[in-house]
Amino acid sequence: MKLLSTVTTVAFTTMLALGATEVSAQDKEPVRFGLCFDLSKSYTFISPQVAQAAQDLAKYVNSNGGLEGHPVEAVVRDHGNEPQRGVECYEQLKREGIFIFNFLSTPVTNAVLPRVMKDGNILMQSFVGRGDAVDGDVFKWVFPVGPTYWQQAANDVAFIKGQMDGDLSKAKIGFIYLDYPFGQEPIEILKTLAEKEGFQLELYPVPLPGSDQSGAWSKIRRDKPDYAISWLLAGGHVVAAKEMRRNGFPIDRYLSVNWLNEVDINNIGAADAKGILRGTNVAGGQEVPIVKTMLETYYAKGEGSGPESLVRDVYYNTGMAIYSVGFEAARLAIKQNGWPLTPESMKTAYESISDFDGNGLMAPVTVTASDHGGGGKTRVEQWNGETWVPLTDWSADYTDVVWEIIKESSAKFTVK
Amino acid sequence: MDPVFLAELAINGALTGLLYSLFAIGLVLIYKASSVPNLAQGGLTMVGAYVVLALARDVGMPLWLAIPIAVAIMFGLGFGIERVALRRLAGRPVVMILMITLGLDIFLRGTTLAVWGGTSRSMELGVSYEPLFLGDILVSRIHLVGAFVAVMFFAAFLLFFRTRLGIKLRAIADDYMASWSVGISVERGIGLSWGLASVVAVSAGVIWGEIQGVDQALSLLLLKGLTVAVLGGLDSILGAIVAGIILGVVENVGADFLDPLVGGGSRELIVAAVLILTIMIRPHGLFGRHDIERV
Repeated sequence: MKLLSTVTTVAFTTMLALGATEVSAQDKEPVRFGLCFDLSKSYTFISPQVAQAAQDLAKYVNSNGGLEGHPVEAVVRDHGNEPQRGVECYEQLKREGIFIFNFLSTPVTNAVLPRVMKDGNILMQSFVGRGDAVDGDVFKWVFPVGPTYWQQAANDVAFIKGQMDGDLSKAKIGFIYLDYPFGQEPIEILKTLAEKEGFQLELYPVPLPGSDQSGAWSKIRRDKPDYAISWLLAGGHVVAAKEMRRNGFPIDRYLSVNWLNEVDINNIGAADAKGILRGTNVAGGQEVPIVKTMLETYYAKGEGSGPESLVRDVYYNTGMAIYSVGFEAARLAIKQNGWPLTPESMKTAYESISDFDGNGLMAPVTVTASDHGGGGKTRVEQWNGETWVPLTDWSADYTDVVWEIIKESSAKFTVK
Repeated sequence: MDPVFLAELAINGALTGLLYSLFAIGLVLIYKASSVPNLAQGGLTMVGAYVVLALARDVGMPLWLAIPIAVAIMFGLGFGIERVALRRLAGRPVVMILMITLGLDIFLRGTTLAVWGGTSRSMELGVSYEPLFLGDILVSRIHLVGAFVAVMFFAAFLLFFRTRLGIKLRAIADDYMASWSVGISVERGIGLSWGLASVVAVSAGVIWGEIQGVDQALSLLLLKGLTVAVLGGLDSILGAIVAGIILGVVENVGADFLDPLVGGGSRELIVAAVLILTIMIRPHGLFGRHDIERV
């Protein structure tokens, strides 16, 4: 079921019929989401967009009758990417009665996760934290809806295989990555797939913060990989684009992790970035219905939850995707089990989400009790100089290989 | 290993190293005058780049005008830091001054984050990124430009320290008590060194901002700049140039050998090893005065 169409249709019809739904929705108890984000340090290149999307979506849902009549509230706090502050934020909001959280930071999420598991609260964990948390059999209260980095990398390899007529046995794939846990995470799956498909894998580590890539690209120039899969962030892509040009590596063979946004494209130069590839689970651009609606409903009147420039950024769409799923889960929970909303009813509702794509906003997700990731589908998009053009349909490949790694990793998790 | 590739790694390492030198010259200037490693040099470099971009993007000035105006602004900022924060610490233990430079760095990083946010911005100097081959060796044009700027600063400061004003600064560096006693304004001299270091910070910020974008990561240049300054001798501008080249070559070539063995991450290890070994074996560095203290 699609959140947008459901909420719009049901709420709008009801409002017309009764003329009092909005008033009664605001009278009811709110569904509260805790957004403990890094708004001041490392993740500031994404957190503001995601927070703004959550607030806009909440405003829109509320103005259309709320979630089964209950208004939504997005409570935003800053943890500065410090685990201890994240824990404090969790404890404080927990005392205020909130039980649905998102920390949008790997170190903070990892620090809070054991408490959330112990308390039996809901942890939204898309794109951050440990990849094995998609294993719902182990991480019962964690919902990392979206692809893990392992699944993203596997889907990237499948894309390259498709580009090479289904045969990777003579292919050489380079992997350029930030040399710390975020960048290192896909290495094992890539090695496994290299063995399975017979391609040659070349690793090019780049030290933090990704500004010094000259040595890596000198090697890439000499190794001549067919494609370079990139696990860099923000300015790292800009440096890579310059190095590609300098080293004569075609930019249309550079396949980035989902963290490549419009700011990076602008910094590379829209024309210079033409051809660059990105694996993603979220549709980019402002033509996506819900994003278009936000621009028309709020930003055209100067009533958005923040600057309009942040809406014109794929990370805003990412935030929309994360909270479309979250709000849909809350709506389903109230619909299925009534009020009050509880962690248990929220969990059950999350696990009943089926083929949900936020009205074209994201890859369709089907969350189950075992798979909290929703299937791990992504697609590859290409920048054409002005916008992102999808090259493939949403798909998840090598899921058996990925789940083998997930199960192996999640089996080691225990809560003391 | 292929000798051509080795030469390419070495040459590009040397060019990168000269960019570290450009940063390190700012550290040396302040150390020469006040005997303190300025831990805020990374913050100053970042602020310098942001000021250039603010003038160019927000005010709409062309870059050729924005850069000299930013130089003037940053000179004033450097001078002001000495006047407001450091002068009252005269005569206090060195560690107190060191701590205030650390506090200043945190303050500058926090301020830029609040004013300009955490999103990376591009400098766009207009330097071409098309391949440039010297024989079989590919070199980076922006690194060539940066290396040239570093050498120009080196030459300029060599000349400056032979002027009347420069000699006063050298006198302050030698013995500030004696300088006071013969009527040299030590405060003004230290203020001048902060002003000049801030000017160097603008140039380093512009070049590094072009290479890696302008964001908080610019302040992280401190680690490599400090390593270069320590290796060269904290009070030697020539040392900063030579040490920059050495560190750049060792880092680039060494990482190529070590990365496959240790699975990556060896660049930081090499820099850390150079810093630690220098302090253990030769605390005054390659060209520094032998009386440099261990702080």
